[in-house]
Amino acid sequence: MSAEYRVMGLFTDENQAISAIRDIKDSPWSMHRVHSPIPSHKIADALELKKSKVGYFTLAGGITGFFAGFLLAAFTAVQWNLIVSGKPVISLVPFFIVGFEFTILFAIFGNVVGLIHQMRLPEFKGLEQYDPRCSGHHFGVTVSCKADDLKGLKHFFQNKGGEVKVISNGTV
Amino acid sequence: MNDLTFAKIDQTVLDTLQPPDRSYWVTVGILFIGVLTGAACWIYQILTGIGVAGMNNPVAWGTYLINFVFWVGIAHSGTLISAILHLLRAGWRNPIARAAETMTVFAVCIAGLFPFIHLGRVWLVFYMLPVPNQRNLWQNFQSPLMFDVVAISTYLTVSSLFWFTGMLPDLAVIRDRATGLRKKIFTVISLGWTGAHEQWRHYARGYLFFAALATPLVISVHSVVSWDFALGVVPGWHTTIFAPYFVAGAIHSGLAMVLTLMIPLRKIFHYEKIITTGVLENVAKTIIFTGLIVGFAYATEFFMAWYSQNPLEMAIFKYRPTGDYAVGFWIMVVCNTIIPLLLFFKHIRTSILWLFGISILINIGMWYERFVIIISSVSRDFIPHAWGLYSPTIIEFGIMLGAFCLFFFFFLLFVKHLPSVSMTEMKEILEQGEDHVG
Repeated sequence: MSAEYRVMGLFTDENQAISAIRDIKDSPWSMHRVHSPIPSHKIADALELKKSKVGYFTLAGGITGFFAGFLLAAFTAVQWNLIVSGKPVISLVPFFIVGFEFTILFAIFGNVVGLIHQMRLPEFKGLEQYDPRCSGHHFGVTVSCKADDLKGLKHFFQNKGGEVKVISNGTV
Repeated sequence: MNDLTFAKIDQTVLDTLQPPDRSYWVTVGILFIGVLTGAACWIYQILTGIGVAGMNNPVAWGTYLINFVFWVGIAHSGTLISAILHLLRAGWRNPIARAAETMTVFAVCIAGLFPFIHLGRVWLVFYMLPVPNQRNLWQNFQSPLMFDVVAISTYLTVSSLFWFTGMLPDLAVIRDRATGLRKKIFTVISLGWTGAHEQWRHYARGYLFFAALATPLVISVHSVVSWDFALGVVPGWHTTIFAPYFVAGAIHSGLAMVLTLMIPLRKIFHYEKIITTGVLENVAKTIIFTGLIVGFAYATEFFMAWYSQNPLEMAIFKYRPTGDYAVGFWIMVVCNTIIPLLLFFKHIRTSILWLFGISILINIGMWYERFVIIISSVSRDFIPHAWGLYSPTIIEFGIMLGAFCLFFFFFLLFVKHLPSVSMTEMKEILEQGEDHVG
């Protein structure tokens, strides 16, 4: 079994990177990762990415938050059981406000948990297969290939106008 | 913006993080002395009693709550710029979004201090928290003051998380260009961000949810603050217009503070190509809009007092422009509604000096707005023999000075240690155009 290599093509132009991504799809090489300094819709389209599932975490947080807020207000009210200003002990309108604020708070907590979970952060091992220029003005397209295909892949990136960087070999 | 490149954006922002010169530390030192002055005044108040402040019957809410409302208001434009304008795809907000968000976080922190100061016996603050205790004391969530505790805590938490999340890609930019200890610190706080497509996929979605949730939150928070007043029966407070009136006023003051901070920041850090005159002009145009809403709200309050024919309401609205606090009222009207009209003139809203001057005047006017609303109503409510005037004491002025110094102290520390302009969002508008960001 021949060793697998990971090779990064570094592009200064987003369109060159996108062109490389599209061509890699029809090649024997497999796409590993694309690093970019900005959230690019074009790259997302080229990679045919699915919609993120972060929203489910946010929704779950929001629903939990509404009931948590409303029930907290109701719980504290029944501890006293006093009628204030002729309002019922469990007053819908004021407690809805507390429920609303908790909805937002817990939805944001859900959103953050969702982001951490889905983005797999914090994760420092990814930095080993990364080029610092990708946070500046380079788009890095990382592709896995067999040792036999390494030369061809390097040529491919060079022909696309990219700079080639072998980021791992034999250990993938 | 045409001659900007990704590299130039990075370089311009990273240059601001270079070790500062002596004048920076002198300014920080002066502000820190101001902070210590405020802290000393607060300690003196804790040791002596709340009586050292000027609050007394009938005016039990003084500068502490004026400043509370003022700083919550300042906090609002940050979320307007980072969340609402993000949803509206207004690309011009990108250069100023980071600084405005930072302003929000610090302003909410300062605002959050004032209820503690106002409490007097600050060690009893836990009464506001729903924790089990031996006397079985539980909060009454029918009170707008408890809405406020929930709303402000939520706003501080959400705006801090929004701020940090937005900064994550930029922290990675600094990490990748730093060395030594700084690199280690930024490696940890950037959480291993690499800008991989999977990260961006979730990040873009999550950021959108942040913006979508922060938008109703920002409106609810100042509405809740307004209900601290509107749910009372005091003449001049008990009105349904208060929520939209406070929200518009908050955004008005916050935008003015954005200009007050951005104009020196732009000059000192050579951000002229990033924070262009066009960006400042757009802020000025938004100020015209919010100023008109605020002016309309002022007029509506008078109209409603007359239309209701309620003698108490009519008396308080006659008292405001002609009574003991008339100077404050006219400062409020002139600074918040008349002076912003100057921004209709293009040569004024494109002049940095004019913009800076007008922004300061609006800040002053908005502080006086809170003064007029809070003080004038309670100093003359129902029973003439219980009327009384209020004036702040030196201790209150000291604490107020400390609060302003603390805000600028935090902000100065921020601009030299973290990116004050979002490099990622600037690159987005450069790559995709102002109309296609997000």
